[in-house]
Amino acid sequence: MASDSPIASRKVVVHLRATGDAPILKQAKFKIAGTDRFSKVIDFLCRQLHRETLFVYVNSAFSPSPDELVNDLYDNFGFDGKLVVNYACSMAWG
Amino acid sequence: MQGGEKEAQRYVWDGAIPLQVHLHDSEVTTLPPPPPALILAPRIGYLPLLSSQLKPFFSGALPPGVDTIWFEYKGLPLKWYIPTGVLFDLLCAEPERPWNLTVHFRGYPGNILIPCDGEDSVKWSYINSLKEAAYIIHGSSKNVMNMSQPDQVELWRSVMNGKLDTYNRISSKLKLGIIEDDFSEKVNPSLKAPHTVNETEATTTLKTSRIPVRLYLCNTNQDFENLETVPPFETWDQISYINRPVEINKEGKYFTLYDAVKSILPEFFHPADEEEGKDGVIKLVRIQGIEPKMEIPFSWVVNNLMNPDYFLHICVYINAGRPMGT
Repeated sequence: MASDSPIASRKVVVHLRATGDAPILKQAKFKIAGTDRFSKVIDFLCRQLHRETLFVYVNSAFSPSPDELVNDLYDNFGFDGKLVVNYACSMAWG
Repeated sequence: MQGGEKEAQRYVWDGAIPLQVHLHDSEVTTLPPPPPALILAPRIGYLPLLSSQLKPFFSGALPPGVDTIWFEYKGLPLKWYIPTGVLFDLLCAEPERPWNLTVHFRGYPGNILIPCDGEDSVKWSYINSLKEAAYIIHGSSKNVMNMSQPDQVELWRSVMNGKLDTYNRISSKLKLGIIEDDFSEKVNPSLKAPHTVNETEATTTLKTSRIPVRLYLCNTNQDFENLETVPPFETWDQISYINRPVEINKEGKYFTLYDAVKSILPEFFHPADEEEGKDGVIKLVRIQGIEPKMEIPFSWVVNNLMNPDYFLHICVYINAGRPMGT
């Protein structure tokens, strides 16, 4: 579960992966505070891609609630030191 | 799942919150204003699904425009993807019956709530929650993603219409059967009788022990004598939303609800408090409208009180005496 670094100050590495016809970002990897909510990742993607709505998934599997903490998502679903986030312009995984 | 073991599950599915729903003053165009609507909202349901009942009731009083339904309680816009029973347990420290909610059909607060396009959005949110739970239990969402379209629709309808038998039939195909219920086995040993020791061990190792939990933590930040004095929430920032699975340790003594809450919130349990038998900072633990004894087996709690998305939603009130650091 919890890693060695103090949870409060931990940064999580997020890997952004385009799915379907979504454009690929120049910077696909970035760090985000673990105490941020997933909505911050969604907002970032929407701004970068200039879109009102996007479908954003973890591990090509499910869309977490925007309220979930990045720390919790990383602890529950992260691997190899990163959290994999997929984004698509249309629904990719029902 | 064996029948008869999960009597409490049926109570949860039949459970409903009596609502008294008022149309917000700013949307009333008629004199006299429409009376409040009285309806029963299923605990396991979601507020936007009440739209088909509420819309005809209030439509005559609404100004022209496009309808997008949302609800508030004492000024706090309600997150529609949280099950109605959980919202009630969380926001009404002292249960209020009927629960007085305000409904809006205009002016959706998009800065606070994620958009909701009616039933499709709610279904999408439910299925995603189910996939997330499956991922926690199995390490992948495949079982849910490989579900046939008719099964997915039927599963969703069973949740929407409170059809427990259908739900149990379809959801059993997902093989998310959570954990053995130590408690029922103990009370009724015949359920377990045919197993040899080896078989029992084999089953145990196959069963998952990671339980999906969504925990809502409210720090009242002040001492309260009784729940009626807890002030209403002004923003969602006052509630921490914690998603951490509980790993059940099958060794030794029964794994209790106390052990489970402690594993999620270790910072609020102090050895000194346990020795003295004090409650510590945890003031209230509420699941599906009840405040279970902390020493009951967690497996019973999960098997009976989880929501149809396979998450156990737990509301916890604490008095940490200071603002929380997340």
